[in-house]
Amino acid sequence: MKKVLGNKKAVALFVLPALIIYAIFVMLPVLWSFYYSLYSGSPGLKWEFVGLKNYSRLLVDKNFIKALTVNLKYISVVTIGQVSLGLALALMFKFWLRRCKSFVRTLIFFPVVLPTVAVGQLFNKIYEIQPNYGLLNSFLEGIGLEQLVQPWLGQSSTALWCLCIMDIWVAMGFYSVIFYGALLNIPDDIIEAARIDGSGSWNMFRRILLPLLRPMVVTCFVFSFSGTVKMFESALALTKGGPAGSTKSLSMYMYDVSFTYGKVGYGSVIAIVIFLICIVGSFLINRFDTKD
Amino acid sequence: MSLAMATSMLASAAMAEEAETEVESEVETEYNGEFAGEDPQLEKKIKILTIWAEDNDNGILLNKICEDYKNNVNPNFDWEYEMVAADNLQQKIATLAASDDLPDFFAYEAGTPLTVLIEADKVVNISEELERIGITDYVNAGAIELMKGLSGTEDVYDLPLGLNVEGFWYNKELFEQAGCEAPETWEEFEEVLAKLYEADIQPLTTGGSDKWPATRLVNAYAVRTAGNDVMTKAANGEIDYTDEALVAAADKIAEWAEKGYFGEGITTVDANTAGSMLMSGKAAIFYNGSWFTQNLTDETQNLAGEDGIGFFNIPVVDEEISSATSYSMNCGNILCLDKGKYDDATAWFLKYYCENMGDLAMTELGSVKGYTYTVEAEDMDDYTKLVLEEIDKSTEGFAWWEAKMSSEVSKTAQENVQALLNGEMTGEEYMQSIQDAHDMSEF
Repeated sequence: MKKVLGNKKAVALFVLPALIIYAIFVMLPVLWSFYYSLYSGSPGLKWEFVGLKNYSRLLVDKNFIKALTVNLKYISVVTIGQVSLGLALALMFKFWLRRCKSFVRTLIFFPVVLPTVAVGQLFNKIYEIQPNYGLLNSFLEGIGLEQLVQPWLGQSSTALWCLCIMDIWVAMGFYSVIFYGALLNIPDDIIEAARIDGSGSWNMFRRILLPLLRPMVVTCFVFSFSGTVKMFESALALTKGGPAGSTKSLSMYMYDVSFTYGKVGYGSVIAIVIFLICIVGSFLINRFDTKD
Repeated sequence: MSLAMATSMLASAAMAEEAETEVESEVETEYNGEFAGEDPQLEKKIKILTIWAEDNDNGILLNKICEDYKNNVNPNFDWEYEMVAADNLQQKIATLAASDDLPDFFAYEAGTPLTVLIEADKVVNISEELERIGITDYVNAGAIELMKGLSGTEDVYDLPLGLNVEGFWYNKELFEQAGCEAPETWEEFEEVLAKLYEADIQPLTTGGSDKWPATRLVNAYAVRTAGNDVMTKAANGEIDYTDEALVAAADKIAEWAEKGYFGEGITTVDANTAGSMLMSGKAAIFYNGSWFTQNLTDETQNLAGEDGIGFFNIPVVDEEISSATSYSMNCGNILCLDKGKYDDATAWFLKYYCENMGDLAMTELGSVKGYTYTVEAEDMDDYTKLVLEEIDKSTEGFAWWEAKMSSEVSKTAQENVQALLNGEMTGEEYMQSIQDAHDMSEF
């Protein structure tokens, strides 16, 4: 084996096929996007070289700043929500739930397999206010909290948080299953020993379970981050990016700019920004893993 | 994104090559160029791209007319029908245009989007073709003028798929309950709204989540206070979008929303729901176009019945600025023909299409599509008659709020109207956001 790996030609032979595929499907589109970003208009229709003008536009584009802010808020809330609630559910499966474990796990995992459009419609009905009150507003009215009845999806102040709640609900089951698997891998004698030493629940979680789960937590954060940075279909299904762009993400803005406004060059600049956010975000999350 | 574009362009380039070969082979069987007498039954397969399902609205008509042409006139004719979501239409057409593979016939949007295709020389000059084929009289002159106005050209480059007037539809029973009559002046209109509200009836509804029905309301007041061409002036830069009259129009809608005339959470209501609310008596007034008759004539939808819904034009503020016989008019989504694939076989089909579309639309859907028709008035339902009467009254037309805006400005105008309805933006802020988008689009 050592002899084979010492042979540079053999290494190249193993690596090259994957490298070529990676280059074609990952690097080439990125480079192509960069090439597009130097042009204005759509290829074939008013396609002109403009140099770095598209990049300078980025700095003064209020809609870009707004979409970036929405995206960052969404990433922070949804990533933390999905991973922390997933972890909490896994702990519940392991230490608290005695009966119907499989049933509850299936129930919580169920939203993961639902199509996004169906989930969007479901939550649309939950948050509805006209022509009839949806589940949430009816409930608030029913318990005498009429003052809290409001158009949850119809106002900028609440629409994004409603979307976050929906996406946390959808994915937390997925993370709970991953964490549950990791918890099962922790030997019972470690937990037992901690209990004998008088460790309480919080201490056991902080000093024993969390350090042992750290690689899995980092992995889940990377998964969740890469899912949320793309934020597109759930926002489209629930709010269509509204009201007034309050749930419009960078991907949605990129789509509008490229395909609705016909400015593929400027859309490519936004695509590059999303690519950079992915790289920087993944790098920061991975730093937690390499600390020890 | 570039990967997706590259793949689609490569695929369409290959298809374009294929289509080119097809076109070449068809040119061999080219007709001598005369369009009188019998159809020469040239062999042709056309591709139609629209935003309607085959069993819905214009989808029914386009498929039926192709079927009739094949069965009754040209057995060598065939067609392929493709539907794309309305939101994706511009993107799809832009990609196909970029790869020289536009379908033979395709639905598109009048105004600025079409102007881009005209400037790129991608679409057939319809005026010239109607003249050459000798069918100019079959297309409604009013529709032609409207389309010319929207694209800002001397010739017309699109075919109408509607001849619509827009205005306020109202629930007669609710009006009666509140002791109101259809208003003619804006002052009366405001009184009606106040009366309805006092009678515990929701005065207005609109498709706030679809956005365009809400911007139509801003347009209504803007046109009546500043003239029929106010939005054209703003688009041309003669006035700013932050002009006092336009700000006042935006403020008017914000004021109605604040007073509660739209009920709660109007930005979550789509146009279909708003229409249902009017027909089921949950709201009294709904601004919409004459295409709404399709819902009104459907007994299962229209709970108000055959005579339950009335129509009034946008009330007048000052007759000298914008008269009571000026209507917001449009030709719906329009139909364009790809210049690259256009040949004599398509021209013969176009001839049949223009000659028969008027009657077909009347008999199948009871709607006016911008072509001449021979169907008698007594065969029509009451709502269609009502629309025709309104069209007859019109002496001047004006376009909708976003007609002259680029897609970028239009998107901003539509998105931010929700903030205006929610009270998150003032009229001035709303118009400033449109002005900013206008400035930015020229960056």
